[in-house]
Amino acid sequence: MVDATAKPAFVLRLLSRNRIVKWAPLLVLSALVLFFPLIEWLEDFRAGDAHAYLIDSRFFSVRNAARIGISATPALIVAIGATFIIIMGSIDLSMEGTVSVCAVVFASVFIGLGGTMLSWAWLALPLSMVAGAMIGFVNGLVHVKLKIPSFMASLAIGFVGTGLALLLTRGDRIRVEDPVFRALLTERWFNFPVMVYIALVFLLVAWFIQSRTRLGRNFYAVGGGEELAHASGLNVERIRLLGFTLAGTFFSVGALLAVGRIGIAETATGNNFMFVSITAVVVGGTALWGGIGGVWNTLAGVLIVNVINNGMVVVGLPDFLQDAVLGILVITAVVLSTDRKSISFVK
Amino acid sequence: MGDAKVPARFERERVMSFIKNFIEQETINRRKFLLASAMGLGGAAAAGVLGGGPARAALSDPTIAWSYRNRTNPYWNEIVSGGEAFVESLGKPKSDLVHLINDGSSEKSLADVKTLLAKESGNVALAIDTNDAPNCRPVVEAVAASMGYVSTIWNKTDDLHPWDFGDHYVSHMTWSDVGPAEQTARILFKKMGGKGGIVGLGGIASNNPAIERKQGLLNAMKDYPDIELLDYQAADWDTQKANQIMSSFITRYGDEIKGVHCANDTIGYGVLEALRAEGLQGVIPIVTYDGNPQAVDLVMKGDIEATVFTNPHWGGGITAALAYYAATGHFKPSAEPHASREFYGPTILITPEDAQAFRAEYIDSVPNYDWKDFWGPGNGQIVYK
Repeated sequence: MVDATAKPAFVLRLLSRNRIVKWAPLLVLSALVLFFPLIEWLEDFRAGDAHAYLIDSRFFSVRNAARIGISATPALIVAIGATFIIIMGSIDLSMEGTVSVCAVVFASVFIGLGGTMLSWAWLALPLSMVAGAMIGFVNGLVHVKLKIPSFMASLAIGFVGTGLALLLTRGDRIRVEDPVFRALLTERWFNFPVMVYIALVFLLVAWFIQSRTRLGRNFYAVGGGEELAHASGLNVERIRLLGFTLAGTFFSVGALLAVGRIGIAETATGNNFMFVSITAVVVGGTALWGGIGGVWNTLAGVLIVNVINNGMVVVGLPDFLQDAVLGILVITAVVLSTDRKSISFVK
Repeated sequence: MGDAKVPARFERERVMSFIKNFIEQETINRRKFLLASAMGLGGAAAAGVLGGGPARAALSDPTIAWSYRNRTNPYWNEIVSGGEAFVESLGKPKSDLVHLINDGSSEKSLADVKTLLAKESGNVALAIDTNDAPNCRPVVEAVAASMGYVSTIWNKTDDLHPWDFGDHYVSHMTWSDVGPAEQTARILFKKMGGKGGIVGLGGIASNNPAIERKQGLLNAMKDYPDIELLDYQAADWDTQKANQIMSSFITRYGDEIKGVHCANDTIGYGVLEALRAEGLQGVIPIVTYDGNPQAVDLVMKGDIEATVFTNPHWGGGITAALAYYAATGHFKPSAEPHASREFYGPTILITPEDAQAFRAEYIDSVPNYDWKDFWGPGNGQIVYK
């Protein structure tokens, strides 16, 4: 006898709410990737010049994927740094200042030591990462030792960073024109520039930290219930300090990629990273109250934000509508991709 | 506001500030001196303000101040360096220049000015961009009420004029960007052979220079029917935003783009990098605006076809100089024609042919300006539409 209930049960299990929520960011991303070509197709169709949907789409092309990749990579790495902090239930808003300082430190040292990767100037890369880690560490100290909420501590450290970058540059911008360093953008493997692969490497590193190290698991423990984690013998302060230091390091890698993308380091290099990275983390389904989410969510979130930004221009949405549409799409994405039923209130 | 109301309002503010400061002996002394001047004992320096308002003699050694957004932006950095150069020309250390930094807040701008006026009892020569146009009137009124001297740049409402304030509102300078932006557009179109699609990237949509620079582009297009403006979007003066918009433009329009019109240099840098990523640098010509040193280098290399220099260093210096020399009685603003009180700042077009010479003259060595030649480099009286 055939069990008639087996198949529906299987489908139900496949489509259980938890599973949908888990995959929602990816579904939102897929929907967007199919949505923009549809608008494009409709536009051409109305103009009496219909093309094959997707195949002839300008949006849905490898070259445009590379463009989205280029615009997404610095934000991805910065957002990964923020992800660790948000998983802990804290928040880090220092990214704009940190990115500016790291970009400027890198560029000045790089130019000072010869200005080409083929000399000792490459030392500017690790040095900039050390600078990022130090800013993150100070950020963590202020938060943990002075017991200032991470929101305020990191925001303030971010302002200090912006001021420091201004002090270092005196308001000028530093151009980094070394062709070897700029190969991050100009050299392409399989249609995608090198910087995209470097970002993938750091994504894997972050995933390793998140899932295969004690520190990564402790982030979740702290975010899921700090008192419980503390009672279980975890040194929560130390974990927070390490978390902020790690985030600062990722911010600096994001800064290096941002300089690689436009070849300029300046106080304004960090502009917009706060909005893009926090939005991306949340849209990706990492909950602001901690304990849920991870770096793959952040990847989806960053791609969602950048696909929206790119798609709006590609389908010809007037610029005065773009900010409003971005806001609405972000709210929609958050509604779809976070499980809000399990919590009783939102702060 | 009609002329008749100005003195009454002045009187009120003057009385208010007098009450506030009445214990300050200095103020009282000044009023005694004013009285003496009015009786013909104070010399020619003192003159009546329009409508019989208060007047006083020239200041001696006024505090020189520049009020501006902040130094993050290379443009404002240049403006202020000009102010410092002027202060040094007086034999003072450049640290004598007082910086009032408003960080884009009109409220802070006004509050800082009032604080300075109170601290120095009006003994102030102020150069200022008031951040937005409506803020200009309260700033100017505050300075005039405490008998200081002020010169403004960029932001001012059309109904506000220096000559309505006697000597205390010395001058206003602004730059008209329509004409120069039209010239850069023509250079771009010629480079494109007079036909093809272009895209434009503008500044913050509500900013006056952004509006004027776009208008310049549209004006030039009237003479080039074969040029098609495919798209024009606001890149908010931001390199990274311009970079992303340009790469999206390439997706949407692809080979149709034959040229790019950028509202300033920082936008141009982002566009160049988007083109570089596609191997299109040098293939698609672009024009920019502002004449930053790095943009001039790119013009020399042929990466940018043209940019426009507005000489912010001179602008920053001369604005402070106007306020200072009016304050010290070197010249009498109310005796000058209107064209000397509201005028356009200089604009210099930079193309690959003259970039080398330009760099040598203006960038490699900062020219030693004659800070008493107030109007030589300017571009004539401001015209209201």
